Amino acid sequence: MSAIEVIGLQKTYRRAFRRAGNEALRGVDLTVPEGSAFGLIGPNGAGKTTFIKAILGIVQPTAGTVKVLGGSPEDPRIRARIGYLPERLHLPGAWTATAFLHTVAKLKGLRPDGAAHLRLLERVGLAEAALRKIGGYSKGMRQRLGLATALLGAPSLLVLDEPTDGIDPMGRVEVRGILQEEIRRGTTLFLNSHLLAETERVCDRVAILANGRVLREGRLEELSRGGARWAVRFAPGVDSGALAAAGFQAGGADGLYHVEAADAAALNLALDKARAAGALLVELRRDGQDLEAVLTSTVGAAA
Amino acid sequence: MRPLFGIAGYVLREAASRKFILAFMVGITLLLLVLSLSLKLEVLDGALAATRLFGNALNHRIVAVDVALRPLYMACAYVVFYGGILFGIVACSDFAPSLMSPGRIEHLLALPLQRWHILGGTFLGVMTLALCGAIYGSGGLLLIFGVKTGYWTLGPLIAALLACASFAAVYAVMLTTATLVRSAALCAASGFLLLVGGIIAGYRTPISRVFEEGLGRRLFEGVTLLLPRLSSLANASAELAASQPLEVKSLEMLLAGVLVFGLGALAVGFWRFEGKDY
Repeated sequence: MSAIEVIGLQKTYRRAFRRAGNEALRGVDLTVPEGSAFGLIGPNGAGKTTFIKAILGIVQPTAGTVKVLGGSPEDPRIRARIGYLPERLHLPGAWTATAFLHTVAKLKGLRPDGAAHLRLLERVGLAEAALRKIGGYSKGMRQRLGLATALLGAPSLLVLDEPTDGIDPMGRVEVRGILQEEIRRGTTLFLNSHLLAETERVCDRVAILANGRVLREGRLEELSRGGARWAVRFAPGVDSGALAAAGFQAGGADGLYHVEAADAAALNLALDKARAAGALLVELRRDGQDLEAVLTSTVGAAA
Repeated sequence: MRPLFGIAGYVLREAASRKFILAFMVGITLLLLVLSLSLKLEVLDGALAATRLFGNALNHRIVAVDVALRPLYMACAYVVFYGGILFGIVACSDFAPSLMSPGRIEHLLALPLQRWHILGGTFLGVMTLALCGAIYGSGGLLLIFGVKTGYWTLGPLIAALLACASFAAVYAVMLTTATLVRSAALCAASGFLLLVGGIIAGYRTPISRVFEEGLGRRLFEGVTLLLPRLSSLANASAELAASQPLEVKSLEMLLAGVLVFGLGALAVGFWRFEGKDY
């Protein structure tokens, strides 16, 4: 079953007295499987936040259909199963974290549970600041409180817009740990983050959104796969001529070579030739791209 | 209804954290305390024989208590009516724009609430605040004079409730303004304009004579016909506070006018809020 199913989603922001509107989404089709960790990436102005707002019913689509957890995002029963952290969560400065969680729990239709709220604050690393006023919190602490708020009531779907924004590197590791725990628990994670390394570490599926359209979507390893190209590192002192004859091309670094091999047999044949020429293999990996390279090449090709 | 009360609670909690609202409540309390400690009224057989304020005797004729208290209750009713509405406009102008600020409204809209819960809850929260303030102030006054003179009347309390009803219409316009433009200043301005318009509407017949007959006068009469007659309601509340006969023909019609206007303004606000993207 799909946690999020979007077909032909279009959103045009219209302004009074202007004929042409601003097209934020131009027919997005996207399916997020239940239980997956899905990352949405793309350049600024790609329509990522509008997409998130559309799947939560905060903006109304111009065209297309949106189904979340099998129902309409307008349905309060569906929304009760969603935890959401907006990009710039505005928190009431004069309140304490516990008071804020208490109020949000009531608005979510949950029975406020002080002990559970304290455990949640402890989980996001805010136990010591639980009774301090939010106005005195740092940006990272506010973000942690936002995450705690999203986690209230153990939601089935977590929609997080830049969850680690403002959090220090150690804090990011903690947040990543919490998100991975949630994924293991069976929660579907929908993550929008500018930190591609973060997305790469947490998500198993990724969609690239640019100019209001999904350019690529799929499993992370499929997107970052470099095809039939392999990177091979040999111990120093190899015969470059013999390796070139075996089909190896010299890479940038010392001892690094690249080889094209359609399958395992072709790869082993090339390696056998290299070893026969006296080369000692020390490292072998698929010549893949990181997410940054995937994003850059995809967006660049579409431009 | 629970989400509606939830949002009202959210607004009240926000109000409780604002210093100027707390200062206002402390101010009312201090005023009532000063009045109860410094004012000495000597009542003999239902007549006010002597009055001392801060130990100084105030010269007046011996009159019945209810007659003696009339001007005081009338003055209090006007202060509560106009002062209360003005304070409400300033103090509450920020609630709705603040609730609709980026980062907060998205969070609220993603919660299991209907959109009308958010707007309705804000209205309910602000009106609860206004009602509590009005009842606290007028109730305190009633209690002090009741205990000191033995003369009990619900007049000041009813006057305060009328002020709340008027503020409801004013706040409905402010809330609707917030759905159109997220600005506390413009919300306050719209409330203030309605208050001024409502005062003028109450005196529309004598004022209309200032205009020459023709389009100008008709336009003035047409515009003021649509506005709630707040000054008439203020006069009625003062007369009720002083237990005097009402000058207006029908208080019910006046209140119905204010109610219809308020509901109309709210309906526009709900319609706008339902269709708005944040």
